[in-house]
Formats: sequence, C-alpha cells, structure tokens
Amino acid sequence: MQMRISDIFKLAFKALRDRKLRSFLTILGIMIGSAIILALIASSSGLSAGIQAQVSKIGANTLTVSSARQFFAPGGSSGTQNYQLSQQDVNTIKSLQGVSDVIPYYSQRATISYGSNSMEGELIGVDTSALFTMYKGLSLYSGSLPDSYDPSAAAVGYSIAFPTGSSDQLTLNQMISITLGGSTSSSLTFLVKGVFSEYGRVLFSNIDDTVFVSLQSAQILLKTQYFSGLYVITNTAGDVTTVQQEIESYYGTQVRVMSAGSMVSSVESITSQMTVFLGSIGGVSLFVAAVGITNTMFVSVMERTREIGILKALGYRPRQIMGMFLSEAILSGVVGGVGGTILGYALSFMIGGALPMSGGFGPPGQTRSSTTLTPVFTPELIAFSLLFPIGIAVLAGLYPAWRASRMNAVVALKYE
Amino acid sequence: MSSRAGLAVQTIGVTKVYRVGHIDYPALRGVSLKIGKGELVSIVGPSGSGKSTLLNLIGALDAPTSGRVIVDGIDLRKLNQDKLALLRNLRIGFVYQTFNLIQRLTAIENVEMPLIARGIPEKIRKSRSLKMLSAVGLRREANKRPTELSGGEQQRVAIARALVTQPTIVLGDEPTGNVDSKTTREVLNYIIQVNKAFGTTFVLVTHNPEVSNMTHRMITLKDGLIEKEQYLQRMDSYTGL
Repeated sequence: MQMRISDIFKLAFKALRDRKLRSFLTILGIMIGSAIILALIASSSGLSAGIQAQVSKIGANTLTVSSARQFFAPGGSSGTQNYQLSQQDVNTIKSLQGVSDVIPYYSQRATISYGSNSMEGELIGVDTSALFTMYKGLSLYSGSLPDSYDPSAAAVGYSIAFPTGSSDQLTLNQMISITLGGSTSSSLTFLVKGVFSEYGRVLFSNIDDTVFVSLQSAQILLKTQYFSGLYVITNTAGDVTTVQQEIESYYGTQVRVMSAGSMVSSVESITSQMTVFLGSIGGVSLFVAAVGITNTMFVSVMERTREIGILKALGYRPRQIMGMFLSEAILSGVVGGVGGTILGYALSFMIGGALPMSGGFGPPGQTRSSTTLTPVFTPELIAFSLLFPIGIAVLAGLYPAWRASRMNAVVALKYE
Repeated sequence: MSSRAGLAVQTIGVTKVYRVGHIDYPALRGVSLKIGKGELVSIVGPSGSGKSTLLNLIGALDAPTSGRVIVDGIDLRKLNQDKLALLRNLRIGFVYQTFNLIQRLTAIENVEMPLIARGIPEKIRKSRSLKMLSAVGLRREANKRPTELSGGEQQRVAIARALVTQPTIVLGDEPTGNVDSKTTREVLNYIIQVNKAFGTTFVLVTHNPEVSNMTHRMITLKDGLIEKEQYLQRMDSYTGL
C-alpha cells in the first residue's frame, strides 16, 4: 500500500497552484540564487579561459621583462625613480645561460589617423622581423613586414586597416599619422607596408589595434632611449624557470619578470579566488532562498493544519504526509533550478557583455579595446545549478514536512 | 477471540485524561461498551460528556490513557502510527459536522483521497469515486469545489469519501449538525440504506433526537461515563423512515 509518486506530485502541484503568488515568490527566490551561481561561475571561468587563451599566444619559451614600477604608474616613463631598461640590460640578459634572444620594444598609447578615420590604438616599436617570434600564429593579411631599419615604414593590425563602421579603409603604401597620448605629444607619419590578419589580444596588447614601427622610429617618437620592456626568448621551454630566477636575482625587485606559465598560474589563482567569491555570493542568495522555502513551508503547514488532520483521519501515514509536503518543496526546487539555470544562462551573457575582458593583467596605458567574455558552461556546472536548488529545497522543506507528519490528528482536526 | 468476531468495536475500561498545564481533565472515566457489526448506534449526552473523545478513540485518532480499544477484532494498543493509519484507511470512515473537505480539490478529488493513500491507479479510483458520488446523488457536481456546493451537498461528498473505501465502521461526529432538516432526513435515509445493504456499522455522535431516535441503540454519556443504554429497535425489524 504505497502512494504513487505521480499522485504525490500531482497533489503537490495542486497545492502549489492553490497559492500561486506565494509559490511563485518562493520559486523566484530559488531561481535567482541558482541563476546567480550559474552566471557568476560561468562568467568567471569564461574570463579565466579567455585570459589563458591570450597568454598561450606567447610561446612557452618566452619571458617578458618590464620595469617594476611601470605596472603601477600609468603614463609610462614618467618617474625617474623607476629602473629603466636600456641596451645594456639587453646585453646582460642575452649573456645569461639558456637565453637565445632578447627583443626590446617600446609601447605607447597613440591616436592613429588616416583619411577620415581617427582611432585610439597602440604604437609598438620593435625589431619588426621579430614579430612572428613574439606572437605565435600571427600572419600577414596583405603586404609585407616593414624593413627593421626603415624609419618610415609601419605594419598595422587588422582593425586599424578595416575599422568597423567606417567605409574608409586603409590600403598599402598609404600614409598614416601617429599622435602619441600622454605627456609626450608629438606626431609622425608612416607608410603602411603590411596589414596583419585578425589576431586578437595577447597579454598587454590588442594586436588588431596596434601599429608596429621600427625600434628607431619609436625611439625618435617617444624621445627616450629606455625600452618599455623586453621579450626574452629562451632556448627551450624548460629554461624559462631558471632564466626567470636568474633575472630576478640579478635585478631584484627593480624589474618584473613574467612567463606564460607564471601568468597562467597567477591568472588561475585570481580567477579561482573570484569563482569562490562569486560562487559564495550565489550560495548566500540560495541560502536566503532556502530560508524563504522553510518560512513558506511553515506557514503552509500552519495554514493547512486542518487538512493534515483530515489526511490523518483518511489514513495517510506520517511518512506519506511528510512526503506530500516535501514534494512541494522538491517541486519548487525543480522549477526554481530549471528556471534559474535558464535565467543564469541568459544572465551570464549579459555579464559577459557588460564586463569586457579588459587586459587587467598588462602594463597600464596599453589596454584599449576588448573582446567580449564568453561564459563557459561545463556539464558539471549545469548539473550543479539544476540539482543544487533541489537539494537546498529538500533540506529547507525537511523540518516543516516532518512537523506536519507529527501533528496530533485530533488537535489538527479542531484547528480553525 | 471468537467472542469478539461479531463485534465492530469493543472498549474495555477506557479512560482519557487531558492534561492542561498541571491540571488533569478526565474526559472519559472508564467506558466499556460493545458494538456489534452492522449496528447503528448513537452516542448522546451533554457537551463535555466525552462523546467526541470516545469517537476519536474508536477511530484510532487518539490513544486512551488506560483501557483497551478493539476495532474489528484488532487491539489498537498493539499498533504503531503506521498500522493505525492503515487501519483507519482500510476499516474506518469519518463524517464530521464541518464536512472537512479539502477546499482546493473538487468533489471527486476529495472522494479519491483515501484511495490515493492506498496507491490505487487513477482510472480505478476515479470510477469508484464517481460511482460513490452518483450513489449520493452528486454525479453532476463531481467537478465542483466545496465552495460551489451547498452544506448538504458537501456533507454528501464527505459521506461518499467515508464510504468509498468500503469501511467496516463509519464514525459520525454530529454529521447532521450543519445541515437543514430536509438534508438531515436525506443523510439519515442514506445511512440507513447503506447500513442495511452492506452491513456497515455506524456510530453517530449527535445532539439531534431525530438522528438518535432512528438508531438501533442510543448510548448516553455523562461526565465521562455511560449513563444509560437504550435499545430503540431490533436490527432485523428496523425499517427506517
């Protein structure tokens, strides 16, 4: 003599339907909790995945060296107290065991204009022949790499040549004008020799928004002999750690050394902390929802005291009565979980749109345009956002349902 | 055992004491009675005489402070909560003054409730419930909610619900207390019919002499004790209204 599961849930559904508004509000609470958890975790893993994809564009055998203060003092080479990287440092690092090449570069935010277009972007001065070594998978869309020593030649990123929302497009051998931002405001013109294919962000820069010129041109334009940073290429990926340690022991805290591996791990530690933090916000909201369920259930049990008495008189066993009330909580959890997952899915794309993946991990003054964050949904995450609310609902409903099942029939029947 | 075989209900020295704070209120002070199968019995007496308490003990809704209650040959002392619930579901039907229907469910859904507890498939219980509602003249009201029914109709739904399980014994707590005299007569008529046709035992707590006068036996309680028992008519000679 067991009640059918389908009957239990039908009765639970009727009971929830009978109190539409209250049920809706209870379920809404669960939905919001579940949605927040899903959206926040999916977004933060999306952020993590996006940053890792950027990091992976620089080779596993690559280190970057930059002046330590530069990280925290926007505007580039303003402070004289900062250690400044010079040709001497290039030679020093080059002489270290395991280093195959050191590529110095300048970088600065700049306004790029040609024809009717004017856009914010970045100027990078570097030995242009080293570009394909620095950026894995970078390729030319048209033209050729400018000669390393040609002071007037430039290669530009895809978005500079083909700006969105403008019909005016750049052609090869066209002149572009570069005006530097920040303290040093000077202007130079360059002849575009090559256009890169779409590449996206890598670490500190968005290649698509960047103009590459020779080291010498940048030196003239920036009026400084000190580099913004150095790319250090080691013989093998295995040399990265020892080279990093050697550079760090030589310079102490004057420079900041980063490798793809160390960036990945620092990104991971930040995003995992973020995931825990954001996840716990969602957890708290689900906990609040659970308190809501418990409260609603208690009110419901009180209101239906007489009904519980009737059920007892009709021969419903305590366990059956408990099951009936618990299934109302479960049903709320199921609807809340499913609704919350759908809502969270939509919400995570909204967060992705509102939270552009700015290069928060690069030197300041060099971040500009951003790619939109793509949330990551693992099957585990989806399962979690579906099932966790149900679990919470069961826990929240357990005590009120137990109370209902323990009620004294005679007292319950007299309840007004 | 054999002496109890013909009994629907037997109580032996049953007492019930309610404790409020530190004060004991004795509701029943030693009630021993026997009700045979197929009997139609009324329990009368002034308010507070213990009528409803006795009914709740017979209905296995409450346990006596001392003494034994035996229903259909089963000593209730030996049953746990689950077995008591099972006994109520299988052998006992309740009819209350206030009908005690579940308001959000339709008439037929209310009648189905005791069958749902047994896990009877929907098709079977629907047809049984509809048959029961037809028997009380409410076939067309099957899908109405209690609020859409008159008091008399609601009481007939409650009777259908009590009888749909084919119980051995039906307990009524002022079953005609909230209905007009015409409905009272209809309800009584139906009770008599069922009693005759199926041999269902009825124990009715009532204030209404119209009800008690048509039962086989009237038991009068006073201050928690049986004051008197009157045999009004013999079961076999009883013809109803």
